[in-house]
Amino acid sequence: MRASDKIKVRQRRFAHVALILISFSLMFVGKADLVVLRDARMGSNDFLAPVIDFVSAPIRGVETMADGIRTVASLRAENVRLQAENDLLQRWRRRAEILESENQQLRSVTGTVSAENRRLITARAVTAPGGSFMHTVLVAIGDEEGVAAGDPVITSNGLVGLLYEVGRAYARVLMISDINARIPVMLASSSWPGLTMGRNSDYLELAFLPAEAQPAIGELVLTSGHGGILPAGLAVGRVERVDGDYVQVRPAVDFRNLGYVSILIGGTEGVDRSDLSQDSFFTPLPVEDDKRLLEGLNASGTRQ
Amino acid sequence: MKDQQSYFEKADFQSDLPKQFLIMFVGIVLVLFEVGLAQWPFFYGASPFLSLIFMYFILIYHDELMPIITVFMMGLIADLLMSDILGGRATSMMLLSYAMRMGILRLQQSEFMDLWLGFAVSCAAVTLFQLIVFSSINLAVPALRPLMFQVGFTLVLFPIGFVMMFSIQRLLQTLKVVR
Repeated sequence: MRASDKIKVRQRRFAHVALILISFSLMFVGKADLVVLRDARMGSNDFLAPVIDFVSAPIRGVETMADGIRTVASLRAENVRLQAENDLLQRWRRRAEILESENQQLRSVTGTVSAENRRLITARAVTAPGGSFMHTVLVAIGDEEGVAAGDPVITSNGLVGLLYEVGRAYARVLMISDINARIPVMLASSSWPGLTMGRNSDYLELAFLPAEAQPAIGELVLTSGHGGILPAGLAVGRVERVDGDYVQVRPAVDFRNLGYVSILIGGTEGVDRSDLSQDSFFTPLPVEDDKRLLEGLNASGTRQ
Repeated sequence: MKDQQSYFEKADFQSDLPKQFLIMFVGIVLVLFEVGLAQWPFFYGASPFLSLIFMYFILIYHDELMPIITVFMMGLIADLLMSDILGGRATSMMLLSYAMRMGILRLQQSEFMDLWLGFAVSCAAVTLFQLIVFSSINLAVPALRPLMFQVGFTLVLFPIGFVMMFSIQRLLQTLKVVR
């Protein structure tokens, strides 16, 4: 072997070791959540997202075609189902109108001011979670449109997650099913507060419920509004399984079919959003044995 | 005199650099396709490791065309886009490529079933490495079902990918001979 070849082999070996070391250290630096790294990551997302959009166009085309074939095949059954759903929705609409009018009258009597002052903006989901280690989605909206980290992301069915990285033209959503997501919630019928935790799976775990709480199968789980970032009353999911202290919740949104999402902007004036790192942001309320977390009337009108 | 000679050395017309760039490009496109594939509800949360099949094939039959930087770039882009642990897949793929290069001769002479088995071990090792790193950094174990689905489906796709790449290789060789 010539001397120059030996040098080349040595250089190649050095490059191997150096790259492996760089890559290995990236895992820990990445977890440190440095601002520089976050910016770099969002910069690369801004650059790569249009490319993914282009590459995945045929995949979307095939999916649309398959969807079309499925729809044609089940057109009659779908029509019957939609008619039934329409009847039900019209009944619900009449009920909602009555309740809204009643709600307004009660507000005027008690002098309650609605704290919600948010506006909606819709964006297209560019990616879906492809890895098993993190459930995030890139959406085609950036700080140019006025969105910021911490803004809630929803669909008509309920809560999807929160924006946690915002770039110039694209933002990344941390979904409620992600293992790092902690959402302050309450049980709809009893108003007991708790915390949903993602499991990187298609269900959530409901934890930190008070001992008195008795979640029922099928019970609706809503955001409680604690912390001020998320508005109260967004549907998170329904209780699917109760096994002792373990409560499993099925998300209200079917994450497998996320085409478009809406972002709630504003309404968090006065809330400190400077530090949205998961550890400090979603810390659960301390539970003391002799104290109840919330006192008052629950949805069914009984004092607790 | 010696310096002067180096200026007049023969130009290297057999350079692998353009081919290496092409392989890097194809590898990155495959990673992007993998990310796009996750938009199908069937692959939600666990799209198959197409880039790993590609890397495995190229490393066995054309290892000179896949330098470590290609593996690094493919892994890093996958990490960035799927927002997994940054560097997790890149490190595991680089370690795998390093291990494969050590036993390359044995792999080249293996039967298809042995290659499939080797790929199953490689795929499991890459996933296991990421799982261990993820669990130790986050102090939490993610759901294992999507991981198993991901590995399982990749193993099912391996023969198809392998046959496709063999066919492309044959086609390219035929074109070369004809030209």
